[in-house]
Amino acid sequence: MDLRSRKLLDKTFSGMGFFSIGMLMLSLIIILAPIFIKGTGAFLFKGTIEFRKFNFEQFNRGKKTDLLKEEFKTGEARKYIYDLISKFEEQIEKDDIPDAYKYEDELEETIYHIKELLGPFPGEESPVMMRDRYGASRWDKAKEIRDRILFVETWDYSDKSSMGKLTLTPRINNFRGTILENMFPYLENNLDKLMLPQITFYWNFFFDKSFDSHLFGGIGPELLGTLYLILGTMIFAIPIGIITAIYLTEFAKPGKIINFINISISTLAGVPSIVFGLFGLAFFIMTIKVSNSKSVLAGSLTLALLVLPTIIRASEEALKSVPLTYKEAALSLGAGKIYTIFKVILPAALPGILTGIVISMGRAAGETAPIIFTAAVSVGNPLKLFETLSQPTPALSWNIYNLVTEHESVESIRHVQFGMVFALVLLVLLLNLTAIILRARISKKLRG
Amino acid sequence: MKRITILFFALVLISSMIILSANQKIVIDGSTTVGPIVKAFAEYYMALNKNINVSVSESGSGNGAKSLINNKCDIATMSRFMKGKEFKAAVEKGISPVAHIVALDGLPILVHPSNPVQELTLEQVRNIFKGIIRNWKEVGGPDKKIILISRDTNSGTYETFSKLVMKKEKIVKECEYVGSNGAVKGRVQSTNNAIGYAGLGFVDRTVKALKINGIYPSKKTVTSGKYPIARPLFMFTNGYPKMGSHLYNFIRIYLTKKGQDIIKRIGFVPVTAYKK
Amino acid sequence: MKNRTYHSILISKGTSRLRRLVSFFTRSWFFFITSISIFAVFLIILFVAKDALPYFHLRGIGEFFTSIKWYPASEPPEFGVLPIIFGSILVTILSTLISVPLALFSAFSLSDILPFSVRQVVKPIIEIIAAIPSVAYGFFALVIFAPFLQRSGGHLLGIGVWMIGMPLFGVIIIILGQAISGKFISSRSKISDFIIYSVLIVPAFHILYKLFKTLSAIKIESGTNAFNVSIILAIMALPTIVSVAEDVLFAAGREIREGSYALGATRAETLLKVVVPAVKSGIFAAVILGIMRALGETMVVWMASGNAAQIPDPIYNIMEPIRTLTATIAGDMGEADHVTGSARYHVLFAMALFLLIFSFAGNLISEWIMSRSRKKWGK
Repeated sequence: MDLRSRKLLDKTFSGMGFFSIGMLMLSLIIILAPIFIKGTGAFLFKGTIEFRKFNFEQFNRGKKTDLLKEEFKTGEARKYIYDLISKFEEQIEKDDIPDAYKYEDELEETIYHIKELLGPFPGEESPVMMRDRYGASRWDKAKEIRDRILFVETWDYSDKSSMGKLTLTPRINNFRGTILENMFPYLENNLDKLMLPQITFYWNFFFDKSFDSHLFGGIGPELLGTLYLILGTMIFAIPIGIITAIYLTEFAKPGKIINFINISISTLAGVPSIVFGLFGLAFFIMTIKVSNSKSVLAGSLTLALLVLPTIIRASEEALKSVPLTYKEAALSLGAGKIYTIFKVILPAALPGILTGIVISMGRAAGETAPIIFTAAVSVGNPLKLFETLSQPTPALSWNIYNLVTEHESVESIRHVQFGMVFALVLLVLLLNLTAIILRARISKKLRG
Repeated sequence: MKRITILFFALVLISSMIILSANQKIVIDGSTTVGPIVKAFAEYYMALNKNINVSVSESGSGNGAKSLINNKCDIATMSRFMKGKEFKAAVEKGISPVAHIVALDGLPILVHPSNPVQELTLEQVRNIFKGIIRNWKEVGGPDKKIILISRDTNSGTYETFSKLVMKKEKIVKECEYVGSNGAVKGRVQSTNNAIGYAGLGFVDRTVKALKINGIYPSKKTVTSGKYPIARPLFMFTNGYPKMGSHLYNFIRIYLTKKGQDIIKRIGFVPVTAYKK
Repeated sequence: MKNRTYHSILISKGTSRLRRLVSFFTRSWFFFITSISIFAVFLIILFVAKDALPYFHLRGIGEFFTSIKWYPASEPPEFGVLPIIFGSILVTILSTLISVPLALFSAFSLSDILPFSVRQVVKPIIEIIAAIPSVAYGFFALVIFAPFLQRSGGHLLGIGVWMIGMPLFGVIIIILGQAISGKFISSRSKISDFIIYSVLIVPAFHILYKLFKTLSAIKIESGTNAFNVSIILAIMALPTIVSVAEDVLFAAGREIREGSYALGATRAETLLKVVVPAVKSGIFAAVILGIMRALGETMVVWMASGNAAQIPDPIYNIMEPIRTLTATIAGDMGEADHVTGSARYHVLFAMALFLLIFSFAGNLISEWIMSRSRKKWGK
């Protein structure tokens, strides 16, 4: 092959290399961008007065006087709608309009949607479920509901060769000639006066518990559960991992035993995560009964086994890379072996060990399969510390799966799902960022 | 010296944790159909009683039964009755399951709202899931392949469907399986040629329930028995809860007006029909 | 310095009894802690096998591997695991096909092509890809990717045709052009090259265009299928393969590369014909690790594969839903009653045992390869 073609092939090769890297970065962006963008929508959004009412009544946040002033303003704006509706209902009762019965069903559906938007009518007793106690708390949802009030969704099945098409007919047509007709243009033009939207920074999203199947509130228990699991995992995995690494580097004689240990460790690293979950259930809960139901303790033990190989390997690397001169110097000064290990070598290896620990923390936070059978529940109060020994907990990883696949109305809590994924990914990325920075500092030290 | 004091305090901490961890809790596990009901009950109950933690898992009716039998939960929510095998295993382990019917459910057959098909016969549904009818045009719809969505086999809803609709015949292999009622609804609402089944409480404007044999699943048709695929929803406890205990109060929520309102609001049928 | 020497320095004849005792206890204690890892592996194998064997007692070996009927809840129940094994293998092979070329080229870029500053940016990006939790990938696959495939899957395939086809056909054309002009044309010139390349480009373009047209027209009925899962798994397995491959490429050293350059080879030739053959066992190990990663993944397949226990018909139709071993274990564990000792419960452990054996085998193979290459390079 002549030089030109070889050069051309070389250029193509480099091109494919760049292309691969480009694809990598592109896929990362494609995956992370929606998570970050929609995720921030969970706690940074335009909230309505209904949200502020909820915030005040459940959490006592915000000034009562401000809320009362706002309620007064919206009360005035909403009065028009409530008056129209009650007058219309009277007319139907008294049969004052021709064909009154026709309007009953339509009115019921319209009232249902208005309650979705504005909350219960003034004077009604407080409904039992929280989702009925407040109207639309987010401005984007409010706009959606307004459209549902203004337009009736009908499906046009006339085209036999394809699926029906969604047509929106104005609901006002069903009420032509009645007094209710005036409500619709009023609603359309005055939504902002009715709801008083404001940019809200709901940072308590990460700390509040959820209400009514995550329709309200935040992801506090899930976040706390994940943190408990990380803590529990590290309590078990760090000592075992570091001591194993110390043994492998300082005490073990090269030979069959050390080979066997190494093979075991890498075997452990290769076990699929769901098998860890099965083992956790069969061993920790069923056999040695660390708790009589699912619990954070059982989940932590299972996760600890999962991350153990990572910590061992990282610690081993760190210990091996400590210059031999440190050890020799300490020993020549008369220090005992154990003293040398703990006071000289270990501190020197600490950054490397910490890197391994931080990466494992990320894994413990993100893994779902090991905790399905051992620690995770869909709903539960945030646990106090002493409860973790015996009680299960919601956790970010499991509850993401739960909310996305098992929830009864996935579309209405889409923003919460994104918020949870955002929180989990952010947590894991922060942990990994810490690890990267640590590693950069180590390599600077080694070079410098 | 310092190490010993640290060790001592650690021991004290751990032992106090163990002692204090005998905290009040109710552990509930089981069906995703009953899930929304029991989650709402849990929230309602925890709001009234601040010192008790009610935790809910929804891993399927079968898993709920298993947990109860192994004494790992206090309440097993199930959308089917316990099987004979399960009862036997429970008794062998010293557990006496007591059934409480908390609500009634009709299994709606769900399609996307854009699907022109409005009703099917029970036999047509069976043939669809058997793979004999594969295209919507065979039942009056457009020329589109039918995508089958079924509950995974760990589900009481699946068992009911298999018994009452499939008459125990096998579902064709191309059928997709999802882990919960919510997932069935999610798949159907995002795929316009899909068909699935869930619980009555999962029907809203994003999916359409078909008329089966001419009957639409509603509160009336389920209580009157007209709707052919109706079933009770259960909570099982180990024996009858001790009177006055938290478990007792919780189990009886469905008999209170507030409990019935919750069940109605979620979309299921309360066992006693309150007249407004 | 061997440990024995240390030991004899520290524990000389004059050391006090107490010191000896402390040293002994510490060593034993540390050994005990280390053996926890060994215990863990043994216990895992034990508990999985313990609950897997009853299945084979109850149902024999044949049905597990040969029957295609997975009906665990019917009466009588059928436990044909073959379609599920097929599903696992299918998505593993597919994701490997996608990830290995991408990963290898990325590794080449990282070790040889990219400048140092870009390398500092790309390495963390790869670590981030590895760090993102699997449930987040599953979320993306189900909530964003599946509806996208249902809306415009065909277009994605069409674009894919061009992205893969252009470099591939480009290389083929160059090589073919070379061969042709070498054999048939005595005097080469820019014009003759141009003519030959143009002649070759036409049919290539035609083929690609036809492929583009057919694939773009495909309407993906259900976004939760083998294709969806394979792409996401490929992205997840990439960092594993890239980091191991990059390590071995780097470890090959500068001398071997400089020798090749000195003989006049281009960078591509050096990498492909000199470096890679030298470290090919390491690269093989990297690929195996990637395969293991894809095989053992649970959440993504549980959420986005459709969970249909079937072998698609025709077999190459990857737009059909399938079911994997990991998703079945996770999903069916609910109904499988431990207490009634049914085959339904034990078959899940049998699947777990199968997975374990596979991952052990893969691990052992890659460890053996790595240790052999380490011996070769004297590290």
